[in-house]
Amino acid sequence: MEAGSGGSSPMQPSLPPPKPKSPPRYPDLYGKRKELAKVQMLEREIGYLQEELKFFDGIPPASQSCKEVADIVMAKPDPLIVMSKKKRRRCRFWKWLCGMSCLNISCLCCCCRCSPSLKIPSCCGDCRCSGSQSCCRCSMPKCNCCFRHCCKCFKTCNCSLNCCIPKCLSCSDFSCKRCSSCCCLRCPKVNFCCSCTKNCCYPCFCFF
Amino acid sequence: MVEGVLCNSKPSLYFGQEGEESEMTSSSVGSLQERHKAAKDTVNSLRESLKLKRLELLDTDVASYARSAGKSGVVFGATDIVCCRTLQGHTGKVYSMDWAAERNRIVSASQDGRLIVWNALTSQKTHAIKLACAWVMTCSFSPNGQSVACGGLDSVCSIFNLSSPTDRDGNLPVSRILTSHKGYVSSCQYVPDHDSHLITSSGDHTCVLWDISTGLRASVFGGEFQSGHTADVLSVSINASNSKMFVSGSCDATARLWDTRVASRAVRTFYGHQGDVNSVKFFPDGNRFGTGSDDGTCRLYDIRTGHQLQVYHQPHSHGEVTPVTSIAFSISGRLLFAAYTNGDCYVWDTLLAKVVLNLGSLQNSHDARINCLGLSADGSALCTGSWDTNLKIWAFGGHRRVI
Repeated sequence: MEAGSGGSSPMQPSLPPPKPKSPPRYPDLYGKRKELAKVQMLEREIGYLQEELKFFDGIPPASQSCKEVADIVMAKPDPLIVMSKKKRRRCRFWKWLCGMSCLNISCLCCCCRCSPSLKIPSCCGDCRCSGSQSCCRCSMPKCNCCFRHCCKCFKTCNCSLNCCIPKCLSCSDFSCKRCSSCCCLRCPKVNFCCSCTKNCCYPCFCFF
Repeated sequence: MVEGVLCNSKPSLYFGQEGEESEMTSSSVGSLQERHKAAKDTVNSLRESLKLKRLELLDTDVASYARSAGKSGVVFGATDIVCCRTLQGHTGKVYSMDWAAERNRIVSASQDGRLIVWNALTSQKTHAIKLACAWVMTCSFSPNGQSVACGGLDSVCSIFNLSSPTDRDGNLPVSRILTSHKGYVSSCQYVPDHDSHLITSSGDHTCVLWDISTGLRASVFGGEFQSGHTADVLSVSINASNSKMFVSGSCDATARLWDTRVASRAVRTFYGHQGDVNSVKFFPDGNRFGTGSDDGTCRLYDIRTGHQLQVYHQPHSHGEVTPVTSIAFSISGRLLFAAYTNGDCYVWDTLLAKVVLNLGSLQNSHDARINCLGLSADGSALCTGSWDTNLKIWAFGGHRRVI
């Protein structure tokens, strides 16, 4: 502005040369504000904590809430919880599978007849295998990662079979492979039932 | 003049209180520091008083109460819960999964950079969505099942409409990107019955309620000068009984209860954990919630009283601490499923605080750590996602009384 106006009237005496001044020393407002914000936050926190202390005067002890939990969990039916081990074997799991449109029903029927009471073979009792190292030459998925109790058993046999142990339940195509004789797992335990003409693999992991 | 510029340069969000300017001019930095110290001491002493008061009210825990009341435990046989499906298709670690409300669909997020939508009944994939950023950490199904959301290290939450036409390369386009988080998006969940609202948690210490239709933040919970988490927020869970309330779990070792109508402060803070709270999940009744932490424990808290009702902890040999990665309650609340970093997946009897089954030790379980798990809407199936790249569906496989 100054230079512009000076330029428009060259006859006027020139203005004194600018003497720039340092800006006035302002306090460190940013640091101060930040400090103030911290204090205000803490003071607000004090208010909340005092409120919470007052709130404690009226609240019941934990036992009341524990009782509520006990009542709630006992009252509501749960599809994942065993209710009785004596009665029929119909269960939601099979309903689940039966909902599949592409399911091989004959295979399922075979499975339904099988009581899945898993027992660990005696030869496997002391084996602990974690990790994913191969423990035998079975081509089955789980054989390669030692389901935890049975890897010793697998190790001791030269199992090169298409052992069917977990296949039936976890495979997506529900193909039932015929298992040849296996040295130590008594596999397969093929279960022929009235409507199932296949060598269903599911019973293989039921060690009767 | 300069002062005015400085005043305007900070968002009013931080400095909105009346009389602040006079306070500013009257206080020196030194006196403010003294006030700060005094306030800090007061806060600590109040916190201590609260802790003592709370301990006085903790007259029992759930397990002690149940034992004294003669409640019997849940008994599980080795095959009462069985793996009935293995969902194979991901080529990277599975980090997150969520069930659709209509029961049989699942969305999973993996480090292979894809979301996969599965039909859990047939194991078939209905959508494989390639993500712009492979570092996905969370995914969620919308209540109507039409959309999925995901988030991760890209700090944004991406929404995909499953009925959108695919592009030339066969990829599903992003329908909305929710941006504003300044840290990774660790968790996201749609608000039940509100397909246009979603809550995210983030590494920027905040949770955000989003209006998906506008793509804007409706509320921010926590933050630098707010009463909120003081570290990364890792998990959120919205109360199905009252969708205005949600809980968050954080690396500050606390869980906080929030009311979406009051963003400025948490309704309550829940202390007790000694490590990051990795997972929070509401109990089915909506009055309690569970947590899973790096300290190897799961805990049950009451949201109305703030009481810690139970600690679920299984001691390991040599005092090892195995962090909990994810938790879920069964539909009745009687079972608590907790996945651990060592590959275990304990089924806890919530009433007696005992482990009744370890899914990780079953013969057809995962080969690596289980990172996420969730129950189907009707409670009849559990899905687990693992670093072994697979998801597995577990369901009841034992005997049941027919009533």
